[in-house]
Amino acid sequence: MSQRVPQPPVNPALRDLERHDFWPGFAATLAGVVLAFCGVQHWTGVDTVDGRAAAETQLIKAFSSGGLQYASELPPPAPPQLEDPAAQAEALDRWARQQASAAPPNWTVRVDTDAKTPCPT
Amino acid sequence: MECAVPNCQQREPTVLGRKLKRLRPWVQTGFLAVWLAPLDRWLHGIPGCVFHCYSCPLSSFACPVGVAANYAALLPAAFEVPYLLIGVLLAVGALGGALVCGWACPFGFLQDLLGKIVPRKISLPGWLGYLRYVVLVGLVLLLPMVLGFKGIPFEKQVVSICRLCPAGALEAGLPYSIQSVLAGNGWMMSGFKTAILVSFLAAALVIYRPWCRIFCPLGGFLALGNRLSLFHLRFNPKECVECNLCRSRCPVGVKVDQAVNVSGCIRCLECTACGAIEPSIARPQKNTAP
Repeated sequence: MSQRVPQPPVNPALRDLERHDFWPGFAATLAGVVLAFCGVQHWTGVDTVDGRAAAETQLIKAFSSGGLQYASELPPPAPPQLEDPAAQAEALDRWARQQASAAPPNWTVRVDTDAKTPCPT
Repeated sequence: MECAVPNCQQREPTVLGRKLKRLRPWVQTGFLAVWLAPLDRWLHGIPGCVFHCYSCPLSSFACPVGVAANYAALLPAAFEVPYLLIGVLLAVGALGGALVCGWACPFGFLQDLLGKIVPRKISLPGWLGYLRYVVLVGLVLLLPMVLGFKGIPFEKQVVSICRLCPAGALEAGLPYSIQSVLAGNGWMMSGFKTAILVSFLAAALVIYRPWCRIFCPLGGFLALGNRLSLFHLRFNPKECVECNLCRSRCPVGVKVDQAVNVSGCIRCLECTACGAIEPSIARPQKNTAP
């Protein structure tokens, strides 16, 4: 037998029965089901890497698989590495011109649906 | 203080109370098959309703707390309303309140099992339960949002719920660290997170469900539904003999003799052992003529 906790005398006749009304619980449940259904069908304002709108389920999946890409974090392409010094200098010059004239990306965040990072944090 | 009722120490738990006590670990074990199904993250686009890390190699659904924190951190870059997350949690909370905490949550089940090792438990003051809402608002919603506005993506935030979460340490950090050690690459988990995991495991031995009662933001949110949920606990004054078995059986220290559908309750249904507290489902009442 468990150890009994002492309690002050109670009057069961005066205690609230704690009976719940049906309608508040039902309305909240129904609202939850409708919201969840809308969420499954919802296309977010975030694009995927291939330019289509990401579904809410794709966005949530991206959270758990490291699938969010931020434009501010996108690394610039690596400078070219060539064997021939003359070709290397020309390629570097072309790469620098491309970098200088490159327009900033027109997105701030996008979803990589193929990301599979096991533990993003 | 002695109980005023002469035979209260002799009163035995009801048949229903005994049945539910025996049934609960089996239901919790059954739900493990749902949360740990090896589906290769097939359902990771849907948030679950229990506290289970989405980085766990066997997780079926996304962790609702991690998803909420990610949405908060995403706010500066894209304003998105988490319909699916709100919908799932609202529906589950309105159907059963914190019932999933007591009967389905894998992290709660683990704490139940750990708690069986040391029978004597340290009792906690009830006000500590409000810390769950501090964690929910501060750590899950506000902090990721503020750091997000500073241009730090959630994954790069040094302080976040995911970096402090013992479930993450146990269910993701530990398996990946073991894998890393076996591959000869050393222990992967940070010393801080390892310390969180060890502290949590030690606390779960001497305190009944420390995470659920003090820190769990998900349990705090679902417990808000305890006051209106369709499934609830009802007091039957005809059965009450003031034996205080209900309050004595409550593992989380709810003052069941005063009110039972409160935010501190995890709906383990142990209190139904007294017979005066009965599980019930709200039904629409018929209009009767006065």
